[in-house]
Amino acid sequence: MGFDIPKAYATILFTSFRTPNGFVQTLLKFVPLLLQALAFTVPLTAGKFNIGGEGQLIVGAIGATAVGILFAGLPLPLLLPLVILGGILFGAFWAAIPAWLLYRFGINEILTTVMMNFVSFSFVDYVATEIWRDPAAGHPTTIPIGVGGEIPLLVARPPLNSGIFLVVLVAAVVYVYVNRTPGGYELVAAGANPRASRVFGINVRKMFLLSLILGGALAGLSGAVEVAGVHHRLIEGLQSNFLLLGIIIGLIARGNLLAVPFVAFFIAVLEVGASALQRTMMIPVEMVFIIEALVLLFVLLSDVVRRR
Amino acid sequence: MADQFQAQFVGFARLVMLAIVPYVLASQGTMLGGRTGLFSVSQEGIMLVGASIGFLGAYLYGSLLYGLLLAMLAGALFGLALAYFTTTLKMNQFVIGLALFFFGLGLSTLLYKFVVGITLQPPLIPTLRSVPIPGLSQIPILGDILFNQNWLVYFAILLSIFLYYLLYQTSIGLELRAVGESPKAADSLGVNVSLMRYVTAMGGGMLMGLAGAYLPMVYTGTFTEGMVQGRGWIAIALTFFGGWSPHLILLGSLFFAGVEVLALRVQVGGFGIPYQFLLTLPYVATILVMIFATRWVRSPAFLGQNYDREKRTLT
Repeated sequence: MGFDIPKAYATILFTSFRTPNGFVQTLLKFVPLLLQALAFTVPLTAGKFNIGGEGQLIVGAIGATAVGILFAGLPLPLLLPLVILGGILFGAFWAAIPAWLLYRFGINEILTTVMMNFVSFSFVDYVATEIWRDPAAGHPTTIPIGVGGEIPLLVARPPLNSGIFLVVLVAAVVYVYVNRTPGGYELVAAGANPRASRVFGINVRKMFLLSLILGGALAGLSGAVEVAGVHHRLIEGLQSNFLLLGIIIGLIARGNLLAVPFVAFFIAVLEVGASALQRTMMIPVEMVFIIEALVLLFVLLSDVVRRR
Repeated sequence: MADQFQAQFVGFARLVMLAIVPYVLASQGTMLGGRTGLFSVSQEGIMLVGASIGFLGAYLYGSLLYGLLLAMLAGALFGLALAYFTTTLKMNQFVIGLALFFFGLGLSTLLYKFVVGITLQPPLIPTLRSVPIPGLSQIPILGDILFNQNWLVYFAILLSIFLYYLLYQTSIGLELRAVGESPKAADSLGVNVSLMRYVTAMGGGMLMGLAGAYLPMVYTGTFTEGMVQGRGWIAIALTFFGGWSPHLILLGSLFFAGVEVLALRVQVGGFGIPYQFLLTLPYVATILVMIFATRWVRSPAFLGQNYDREKRTLT
């Protein structure tokens, strides 16, 4: 299509690593992507597909913002944990609805989680235009949360919040939980062979329920980090396309929790490079999204090749 | 008073009939694939590509028909890819469906940006006109609702009748259903399982592409990002709800289109309900419908599974 390909590669790598601003951008993208990927991958270990990470992120962000605004006066050591907790609980609640429907009625979780995404779009619009609207902003946005609810900065300029430590820690804990504890083993067993697990006394349906709620909690945390770390307020559309990228990451990593952070970083590099490409070479960002979808297809194809 | 009420009702019912088309087409497409055991979740992506290509085709060639044909072609190609990856390469249907959904999502916006670029004033195409059917459109009330619509409304209804006939009254339909229930049994009777799946996947893709192209051609006159607004996902729920039967899907489409139009109507009318809550109606309705569907409706037995004739399977 008439674009200079080597230059495009150079732009992606240069902006994502060499410039301080670009590198910070990459790290800031990495945080929600990793959490979204985990929110998809953890239910996947139990054989459940959580396509609702977007809604869980949004509702988590609403929860974090609500806490941050209602208790705006509290000092940092109190407010920040509450804000984060608010995000986690709201995200878990949003996932608990499809999870309960699956548990109680046996309704396929794929559709219900997707539907909950669409419901959350209206929810955030309501919160940002009716409840805590910031009249100064042109776009639906809430007033800022209390200063105590902001995640402390690691680097002041360009601003990088220390949420990245929290997220890497969470990823490690999730990995240990799923791969090294009896509870995690039950989760994996329920996904690998529900019938055998039932015979061995694992409550498979409860495991499905748990896995989805855990996923929702992780997605809710990503919403809380976006609010407390980056925007310090709720902005409509702050979820970007994190959900889709999270699913792509989870699928490229093939549900391997150890691989997820590395793939997430790779995708974060591509994404930041892509927005640079849009600015400098006029290549639409969707190009990179298609490339990511193709990478996913090829990774999946490698399974087929290996089978032969 | 009664006249006013009647006018209100006719207006409402006409909008509902207008709104059923994307649901009917996308769901019948889903049903077609599902009846041979192919379960895809790429509807939303294919519809977006259909909307984008349909709009661009109509915009560039100045003819809505070109746009519709191109959208169908694009949908068929997606169906072909789905069938190839799942039937020939035996990859997980759900994961491939997701990958194709992502691909379509990106492609729809990319194509639009390549052709149109970023403009303040999006180009517009003319929308589909109503084609009153002579004679029938003169019937009071019913004529206005059913026989004074654009031709895709007629097409969607006729297609549903045709699919019902095909599925339940012909031997091809019987073979098609057999492939979805027990491919092994069908195979042993000489039905080409792979061919069946390729054909239904491509036919289904065509219908989904058409369903997408309908949106810019009837509602907006232009393509906007994510304009399908979950209709593709709702179509999946609708197909489940309709028990994978063409006639019930047509009825279910009335319900979902009714909810969609109702939400818009109440929004315009005010009534003091925040519009955000009304916007969630179609999605909440979908979730509620799923509760019933899972209880009372049965899906093809081999839905979502790939058939490998060289392997011994239980079914």
